Amino acid sequence: MTTKGDKSKLLILPALIVVGIVTQIPFILTIIYSFISWNVKRPDLGISFAGFSNYKKILSDGQFYQVILNSLLIVVVGLTICTVLGILFGLMLNREFKGVNLLRTLFVIPYFVMEAVVGIIWKTLMLNPSLGLNYYISNALGLEPIDFFGKYALLTIMLLIIWQWTPFFFLIIMSGLQNMPSEILESARIDGATGWKLLLHIQLPLIRDHINVAMTLGLINILKVFGLIYVTTSGGPGSSSSNLPYYSYKALFYDWNVGTAAAIAVVTVALTLIVVQRFYGFMNKNNSKNI
Amino acid sequence: MSRRLNRNLLTTMAYVIVILWLFPMLYMFLSSFKFESQVAVPSLTFTPTLDNYRAVVTPEFFKYLSNSVQITFGTVIVSAVLGVLAAYALVYSGIKKANSIYFWFITTIFLPAVAVITPIYILLAKAHLLDTKLALILLNTGAGIPLMIWMCTTYFKEIPGEIIEAATIDGCSKAGTFFKIMLPLVKNGIISSALLVFVVTWNEFFFAVTATATQSATLPVYMSKFMTQQGFFWGKMSAAGTMVVIVPILIGFFTYKSFVKGLTAGSVKG
Repeated sequence: MTTKGDKSKLLILPALIVVGIVTQIPFILTIIYSFISWNVKRPDLGISFAGFSNYKKILSDGQFYQVILNSLLIVVVGLTICTVLGILFGLMLNREFKGVNLLRTLFVIPYFVMEAVVGIIWKTLMLNPSLGLNYYISNALGLEPIDFFGKYALLTIMLLIIWQWTPFFFLIIMSGLQNMPSEILESARIDGATGWKLLLHIQLPLIRDHINVAMTLGLINILKVFGLIYVTTSGGPGSSSSNLPYYSYKALFYDWNVGTAAAIAVVTVALTLIVVQRFYGFMNKNNSKNI
Repeated sequence: MSRRLNRNLLTTMAYVIVILWLFPMLYMFLSSFKFESQVAVPSLTFTPTLDNYRAVVTPEFFKYLSNSVQITFGTVIVSAVLGVLAAYALVYSGIKKANSIYFWFITTIFLPAVAVITPIYILLAKAHLLDTKLALILLNTGAGIPLMIWMCTTYFKEIPGEIIEAATIDGCSKAGTFFKIMLPLVKNGIISSALLVFVVTWNEFFFAVTATATQSATLPVYMSKFMTQQGFFWGKMSAAGTMVVIVPILIGFFTYKSFVKGLTAGSVKG
């Protein structure tokens, strides 16, 4: 079937070129930009080589560390809770009962809803402290309504991420549970494994790959969250609910500082790579323990 | 007896949890039929009205809708064609380092959009492509192609070698084998991958909000404007929200099983 001078190899070129133009070349330019000084709004200052001064500037800004910490917190907390809930809901809906198919189908909805809508619904109808459901429920309980997007902005962002992404984890984990050979479960039951034992020693190891896929894709997407923050808190109060993507966006589109924005973006990519690598190391260690 | 009770309890719990989890969407849906003056009060009994929908469906809304439709279809078609060709080449044309190229495509999925937006914005501005549909199609295609390749490679690999050999022996040309034998076999896989690209593009926010202004802005941008411009018209906001989420949700209903298959098959052993 395959020959050396096969012309069908060329079919890969259009995809390579488009993806290269949109991702690779701009990323290389971003790295270059991070070493120049360029403020779009001040053309009089011109463009000049800046060495590491953009990096020095962002690394000496206390806000930046808070943003990094926020990003890490969002990822760690979001990923952990989504995984645990995904497994729990997977187990809950892996039984046969009337209407279970409908529940499974309905439960995937939040994953398919755009971030912009998730954000505004929670910010207004649900959690608005003076007109939302938040107000009425607090009132009924005789409590002061909680200012979710003010005092607890970061926590609330996490809550929204968990609301949106748990269904995705559920989807993947559920399919793992469904594809599990029933003979294995049967023989484990005959051997006396029940409840927790069955779950920890048989079921979870068997869906390890599915959990891996869910966590990897979840990780990438939770690191990238932007629209949710944009429409709810705008990263505030202060930078208390900013993550790296939002902070970098602000550096470019509020301050119009190309060098700084690029430097933040480079640090974001570096941190993303470190987190992804750490995560893989962690998953592999866990996996080898289970074998 | 107690086992049975336990089971019923679990079933009831499942219903309650799923309904509570979906409550925000349900609440938005209900609110879209309430008069603006009643919308804040969380009552379940109200006289339904279509006023909000009438008020929202304006030429302005149609402009955003038409932008979304054109950009999404453009992205899906380009991503699907280029992605399927690339996936085919990766699996069947004996490219050296096919694996490395495959992984390169996958790693681009990891790249956050902020990593590329600065030069892209500047280049688009220089090329006078800011706020054009073409620019958004190009940017979204950069994300759509890797997704297509990721899922479709799996489907191409699943085609039994014997079928392809038989076709070749029967004198079928490479192009003939591709169009007559392979495409029908991977058709469903391609469609479900393309639908995932559809949903991702329809919902895409970052590029839409940074690379457009007024001419080519999409529905997610339109929704985000409710927060700033019409913060207190919750009825209209709910009506608009309901309309823009309905398509991706329906796609999700019908295809989530094949999404999961496409996403997991490559990395799940056995």
